[in-house]
Amino acid sequence: MISPSIQLLADYTDTFWFPTSASSFSDEVDSTYMMVMWMCVLFLVPITFCLFYFAIRYVKANGIPAESQTSHNTPLEIAWSVLPCFLLVAMFARGSIGYIDQRRAPEGSDQVGVKAFKWGWTMDYGNGVFHPELHLVVDRPTKLTMRSSDVIHSLFVPAFRAKRDIVPGRYNEMWFKPSLASEKVSDEELANAIKDTKEKFAGVFDPERYQFTSDGYKYFDLYCTEYCGKNHSEMQSLVVVHETQDELNAWIKKYSGRQEGESPAEYGALLYNRRGCASCHSIDGSKRVGPSFQALYGSEHGIVGQGPIKVDENYVRESILEPKAKIVEGYSPVMPSYKGQLSDDDIDSLIAYLKSLSPSVAAPASEPVANP
Amino acid sequence: MATTNVLNPGFASDSENYLKNTSGVLSWIFTLDHKRIGIMYLIGILSAFAAGGALALAIRAHLLEPDGMLFDNDTYNQVFTLHGAIMVFLFIIPSIPAALGNFLVPVMLGAKDVAFPRLNLCSFYLWVVGAIFFICALLGSGLDTGWTFYTPYSTTTDTSVILATLGAFVLGFSSIFTGLNFIVTINTMRPPGMTWFKMPLFLWATYSTSIIQVLATPVLGITLLLLIAERTMKIGIFDPEYNGDPVTYQHFFWFYSHPAVYIMILPAFGIISELIAVHSHKHIFGYRFIAYSSVAIALLGFLVWGHHMFTSGMSALTTIVFSALTFTVSVPSAIKVFNWLATLYKGSISLTTPMCYAISFIFLFTIGGLTGLFLGVLSVDLHLHDTYFIVAHFHYVMMGGTLIAFLGGLFHWWPKMTGKMFSELGGRISCLIVFIGFNMTFLPQFVLGSRGMPRRYATYDPEFATLHQWSSYGAFLLGIGLLMAGLVLLASLYNGRKAPSNPWGGVTLEWQCTSPPPYYNFSRPPVVGDPYDFHDLSWDDSTQNYVITTPERKLAPQTLPKEMPAHAGGQE
Repeated sequence: MISPSIQLLADYTDTFWFPTSASSFSDEVDSTYMMVMWMCVLFLVPITFCLFYFAIRYVKANGIPAESQTSHNTPLEIAWSVLPCFLLVAMFARGSIGYIDQRRAPEGSDQVGVKAFKWGWTMDYGNGVFHPELHLVVDRPTKLTMRSSDVIHSLFVPAFRAKRDIVPGRYNEMWFKPSLASEKVSDEELANAIKDTKEKFAGVFDPERYQFTSDGYKYFDLYCTEYCGKNHSEMQSLVVVHETQDELNAWIKKYSGRQEGESPAEYGALLYNRRGCASCHSIDGSKRVGPSFQALYGSEHGIVGQGPIKVDENYVRESILEPKAKIVEGYSPVMPSYKGQLSDDDIDSLIAYLKSLSPSVAAPASEPVANP
Repeated sequence: MATTNVLNPGFASDSENYLKNTSGVLSWIFTLDHKRIGIMYLIGILSAFAAGGALALAIRAHLLEPDGMLFDNDTYNQVFTLHGAIMVFLFIIPSIPAALGNFLVPVMLGAKDVAFPRLNLCSFYLWVVGAIFFICALLGSGLDTGWTFYTPYSTTTDTSVILATLGAFVLGFSSIFTGLNFIVTINTMRPPGMTWFKMPLFLWATYSTSIIQVLATPVLGITLLLLIAERTMKIGIFDPEYNGDPVTYQHFFWFYSHPAVYIMILPAFGIISELIAVHSHKHIFGYRFIAYSSVAIALLGFLVWGHHMFTSGMSALTTIVFSALTFTVSVPSAIKVFNWLATLYKGSISLTTPMCYAISFIFLFTIGGLTGLFLGVLSVDLHLHDTYFIVAHFHYVMMGGTLIAFLGGLFHWWPKMTGKMFSELGGRISCLIVFIGFNMTFLPQFVLGSRGMPRRYATYDPEFATLHQWSSYGAFLLGIGLLMAGLVLLASLYNGRKAPSNPWGGVTLEWQCTSPPPYYNFSRPPVVGDPYDFHDLSWDDSTQNYVITTPERKLAPQTLPKEMPAHAGGQE
């Protein structure tokens, strides 16, 4: 495994100012940035020089009158008011042209649906495939149609230099064309990381630790940049850019449901991490935004306005699909609904996973579960 | 030999000194003296600044480590929210207009008080009530919305949003009353000879600020009331769950809060215009351009609020129009910087503490202003919006600008306010430490932002750690510098030399009364000419004071002429 300090250096091999340039916008944005920067230097250097030079050159003892009492010079003042305007117009024009490019998605772009919620992302690849990571194909323009189920979020991919707020109650759109495909690490490295994760970190794969995704891709960061509450800083995801459409299709297929030979509880554990449950529900009994999943199944809960209730299959199912129907005492009604985003098999798997976390419930693996 | 008239008012006697002419707590609580109200404001806002500053240091300490050093996420969110809300509503907005402005406006006008002294005291108590609301919010369930109270987060969080917004609502009225008071005072109470273009530039800046306060603040009041109504009655204007639109809130909010940025920075421009001219002992360069640019900024400032919302989903056309308008605001700001530099040129500069702060201001504000250009350029803004680049930019403007100007002004008028001289050496060292600490704190944040670090993050990716640590160490240095500035001023109260009436060589009216001024300021309205005419100024080494020597003015013939015409009562 690479030591953290080398990873740190690896990140800094991009330029001093910018992260890796990975979309069709990023070179234009970077060069506009540098243009503005040089214009600023053009002003800052002479201003700073005059400021400090005059401040030292014209120091006089108390009472010595100033060499000059010139009160104004109208032509000079008009000149320095008007001349900078030409630079301003240049900056404005270039920025606006770049902006219009970013607003207008080309015809025939690929489409990905994005749902932002406190505090996670669900990308909709169609045909019932949802995943928190954003997967794209290099050199294919992709349009994101984004909505939020609670408060305002904002999707930001620094490597693409693209950002757009996601406002509840409306669809906001953005598009970009990735120009750099993600590298894939060797199978051996991936296997080591997965083994390491299983042994030391209870199977919770943290891409930040290895700098690649659980599928072994290097990735670009995706951040939420509109403050959205408690775990705003953890509302991050990953962007992976595939070389070919076939590669993306293969990846999508892998996540289209429970794989052959995978038990519901195992798949439930994957869903728990993949679909954002983990950001609010712990599995070690600690209190987060929502009740912990540890020994939850089969226990009794006080429901606001309804008295105690036993956690069973129907309750769990309802809590996933209609989270605001029954609110556990001591918690706020903040969970978004997963209606239409989880298949029946997904929900069954999650229930099986919950059962596996409750030792008191003898969880026979013989429950009838429909295969996907 | 021509007889001359030396203006040197000497020292105030205890019975006339506004600090001592009456005593007891009640004489302060119920005072109508604008100078005492100014001092009470000063104590209030400096306490708020100390609280906000401590929170800022806590934030920087927390961010020393990628996973956070001090707080859990919820606490961090409350800390940065309170830092922002306290600094904006309780410190920066009232800092220069209410504290220094209250003291200075009537004295600079040669008037005995503001136009409405009781309204003035009312403003102060409204500020106190607003501050109490904030404290209650803090002691209640805190506040975690960010100082902007964006909906629908603010309508759904279970923290004390209503208490805090009521506080901001009340503070808004404090601000409106102060603005109204100054507008009437400046319009009606100028002394003989002071035409609009013979006013000190600080008064022009205060006047422009007051116009914004009176016109923009009511919109904030309305917005916050609607927010409270939305939270309590679900009227469905901002919250999409009840058919509202969150972007409407942003329009309402920034329609006030962008002009409010100019409420914060315009008075700072006014202070710097005074400081640069006085400590260069040279006529301010381009008086009319500076005065007009203040008014231009005040008016243009109403048209650019949309640049806070470039990513939020306005139409492309609206966005581009707001970008164009945004660039126009940069012109008057640039004019001021050029004029200040031209004033320094061939001046007779004294590198006093206030002057050092003024020079820091010009450098820091120039960076703050220039980095605003990056954000006005639309394509670049899409990358930089809501990252640390924004954080660095507005701290360069608000803190490197307004706070440094406020400190410069405080050092400049401290002898006038308290009658004590502070330690020059201590003051200059504090300025140097603040300058270095400030740049070390916020320069790395520009790079953090352009590398993609989002703002308001309680934890961050490890690749940003080095820059964050630089920023934190800079912040601690900055804290030491500010603490030192405060100690230098406090120490002067105990062992400072007695201040003469005009220690810096200013020629505006406040330097023509004693330090501290008598409670009545001037016994009769003084006659004034050009506020930046330094020809008659000379240094008196024996009293360590500048004196203004004017040719003797004969008000009327003292003796009867030998012959008088009949209509004047003489004999034919």
